[in-house]
Amino acid sequence: MAAYFARRFLLLIPTFIGITFVVFSITQFVPGGPIDQMILNMQASATEGGVGGSGSTVEIPPESLAALKEHFNLDKPFFVAYGYWLWDLVQLDLGKSYKYNVPVIEVITSRFPISIYFGLLGFFLAYLICVPLGVLKAIRHGSRLDIASSLIVFAGYSIPGWALGGVLLVLLGGGSFLDWIPLGGFRSEGWEDFSVWHKITDQLHHTILPVMAYMVGSFATLTILMKNSLMENLGQDYVRTAFAKGLSERSVIFGHALRNSLIPICTGLGHAIGLIMAGSYLIEKVFNIQGIGYLGYTSIVDRDYAVVMGILVINTLLVLIGNILSDVLYVLVDPRIRFS
Amino acid sequence: MSQPLLQVKDLHTYFNVEGQRAWACAGVSFDVMPGEFLGIVGESGSGKSVTALSIMRLIPDPPGRIDSGEVVFDGRDLLQLPLNEMRRVRGRDIAMIFQEPMTSLNPVLNIGRQVMEAVVLHEKLSREESRNRVIEVLEQVGIPDAGKRLKDYPHQFSGGMRQRVMIAMALICKPRLLIADEPTTALDVTIQAQILELMADLQNQREGSATILITHDLAVVAESCDRVIVMYGGRIQEVASTRDIFQEPLHPYTKGLMGSIPQEDSKGKPLFAIQGNVPAILDFPPGCRFCSRCELVEDRCRSEEPPLVDLGGGRAVRCHLVEKLPSNAEAEEAAP
Ligand SMILES: Nc1ncnc2c1ncn2[C@@H]1O[C@H](COP(=O)(O)OP(=O)(O)OP(=O)(O)O)[C@@H](O)[C@H]1O
Ligand code: SF4
Ligand SMILES: [Mg+2]
Repeated sequence: MAAYFARRFLLLIPTFIGITFVVFSITQFVPGGPIDQMILNMQASATEGGVGGSGSTVEIPPESLAALKEHFNLDKPFFVAYGYWLWDLVQLDLGKSYKYNVPVIEVITSRFPISIYFGLLGFFLAYLICVPLGVLKAIRHGSRLDIASSLIVFAGYSIPGWALGGVLLVLLGGGSFLDWIPLGGFRSEGWEDFSVWHKITDQLHHTILPVMAYMVGSFATLTILMKNSLMENLGQDYVRTAFAKGLSERSVIFGHALRNSLIPICTGLGHAIGLIMAGSYLIEKVFNIQGIGYLGYTSIVDRDYAVVMGILVINTLLVLIGNILSDVLYVLVDPRIRFS
Repeated sequence: MSQPLLQVKDLHTYFNVEGQRAWACAGVSFDVMPGEFLGIVGESGSGKSVTALSIMRLIPDPPGRIDSGEVVFDGRDLLQLPLNEMRRVRGRDIAMIFQEPMTSLNPVLNIGRQVMEAVVLHEKLSREESRNRVIEVLEQVGIPDAGKRLKDYPHQFSGGMRQRVMIAMALICKPRLLIADEPTTALDVTIQAQILELMADLQNQREGSATILITHDLAVVAESCDRVIVMYGGRIQEVASTRDIFQEPLHPYTKGLMGSIPQEDSKGKPLFAIQGNVPAILDFPPGCRFCSRCELVEDRCRSEEPPLVDLGGGRAVRCHLVEKLPSNAEAEEAAP
C-alpha cells in the first residue's frame, strides 16, 4: 500500500504539469496580453489626465516594447516560456505580479488569511451541521422535522450563494429594511484598536452572512448524502444482526450503522479541502471581501498572468493532495479497502 | 410430558404492499420442545423468515406489522413485552443466525468486537472474561487460532468461516432457542454439511435447548431435524416427524417438495417439480393457497380454505383431501 501512495504522489507531477501547461498556453493565446493591457492603462490615465485631447495614443518606442516582451518571455514560443516559468517554480519562485510589481507570492499570501478564514469556517460548519442533521433526518425519516429541513435545504440548494448573500444584505444590511448586519468588508474600520471582546463580536458580525452564502450550496448535498447513506445502512443485514443481539436502537445506529455510513462522507473530506482556498468571486464581490476568488477574477481581467498562474498552482496542488488524502481516509475508515 | 420451550399461537403478520395488507404469515401455530431440532421448510416466499422474525419481533415496521397472535416463551408472551425487556430476550434467550454470512456481519468492525458485543451486553462480564469467552466459543465452532483472529475483519474470512463466526455470535450467551434462517444456503455443499454437523453438535451440548432450522432444502432437514413444519403461502401445510414426512408425505405440496430432491433410486429419471411458481404475495388464490399449483385440486379447494387437521401422533395436514391422502399414497405404491 505504501507503494500505491508513493505512485499516487509521483503521478501528481505529470498531472500538475498537464494542468498548468494547458492554462499557461491559454494565457499566451488569449488576445490582449499583459502588454496590451499596460498600453491600455497608460492610455486611460493619459486621457483622464486630460493632457492632450487629440488622439491620445501613447507611443511606446519599439525597443522598449521588445524589452518588455523579453521581460515577460513573450518573445519566445509558448512552450519555451512555460519551461522558464516551470523552472522558476521549481525554485519556489512564482514571479512578479505585472500589475503590482511585487512578488506573486506576496500578493497571494496577503489574501490567504481571509480566504482560509472563510474557507475553513464554512468547511467545518458545513460538516458540523450537516452530519448531525443528516443523521437526525435519517432516524426520523418522514417526520415533520425531516420534511421541513428538506424544504429549507433544497431551497438553499437552488439559490446561488451570491444571490442569497445579496438578498440577505438588502434585508438585513441596514438599507431599506433591518439594520442588523454590516454591509460588508472583512472587519470594521479601526478593528485593531478594539477590545478583545469587541474584536471577536465585530469579526463574527462580519462573518455570518458571507459564511452562509459560502455554505448554502454544499449544505444540501452533504446533508442528503449523510441521510441517504445512513438510511441505506439501516436497511442492511448487519443492522438486523445487531438488533437480534439485543442491542438498543441507539447502539445499533451509533455503534454499527453510523460508522459505515460515514465512509462516503469521510472520503468527501479530502476533496473538500481542495475547495477551502478556492473562494468565490461573486460572493466576495457582494460582501466586499478581498479574498482569493476576487483576486483571481481581477487578475484575469487585468491579464496579470503571473498571479493567475500562482493561484492556479496553489489550488491545483490542494485539489490533487486532497484527492490523495481522500484515499488515505478511505483506508483508515474502511478495513476492506487495501490499495495495491 | 415436559412444557414446550416456545409456543407460537395463531400468529398473523402482514406487510403493507401497494396499499394493501399482504399476509405473509396467517394463523401460524406450533410448539418447540426443549431439546428439539425443528425444521421449517417451504419454497421462497412461503413466510418462513417472517415467522422467525416475528418471534424475535424484528419485522421491519414499516412496512410490516405483527397483527395478532402469541409467542409464549418462559410463560411470557413476547409480543406483549415492553421493548426493553424484549431486548433482554434477544441474543440471551433466543438467538438468530441469518442466511448471508457476508452481509450479516458488520464489515467495518472486527469479529472479536462483534462476537463479544452480546456477552458484554447481557452478562456484564469484565473485558478479560468476555475476551476469554469469545475465544472459547470461536474455538468451539471450529475457528482455528481463534485468539489471533479477533482483530480480523469479516472480509478476511471465507464464507463457511464467516457462518461459523455468526454461529459463535449467536451461541455466546448460551441461548435456549437458536433460530437459524437458511444458515447454509449461501455455502457450497461440503461446507454446508460441516455447518449442519456443527449445529447438531452444539445443540446436543446445550442441555434442554432447541433449534429451529429454516430451509427450503429437504435434504438439509433429513440430515438434522427431528420434526418438520412445511409452510406455503404464509400457512402451515403439514407437520410431521422427519421420519414420517420422508416415508409418507401427505400434503400434495410436501409430495411436490419431495419429488424435487434427487434420490438414490431415481437416478436417470427426470426430477419432479411442482408446476408453476410461487405467486407474488398479493396473488395467492383464495381458498387453499396451493390450489393454483395442485394436481389434485377440486372445486371446493378454490373457494374454501381447508383447516389444519390434527391426525394424532404429532401429524397435522391442511388439505381437503385429508381422509383420502394416505390411501392415495398407498394406491401409488400399489400401482406398478
Ligand atoms: N420487508 C418486506 N416488505 C414487503 N414484503 C415482505 C417483506 N419481507 C417479506 N415480505 C413478503 O413476505 C413473504 C414471505 O417472505 P419470507 O421472507 O418469509 O419468505 P421465506 O419463506 O423466508 O422465503 P426465502 O426462502 O426467500 O427466504 C414474501 O412473499 C414477501 O413478499
Ligand atoms: S386442498 Fe385442494 S388444492 Fe389444496 S392441497 Fe389439498 S387438494 Fe390441493
Ligand atoms: Mg427467508
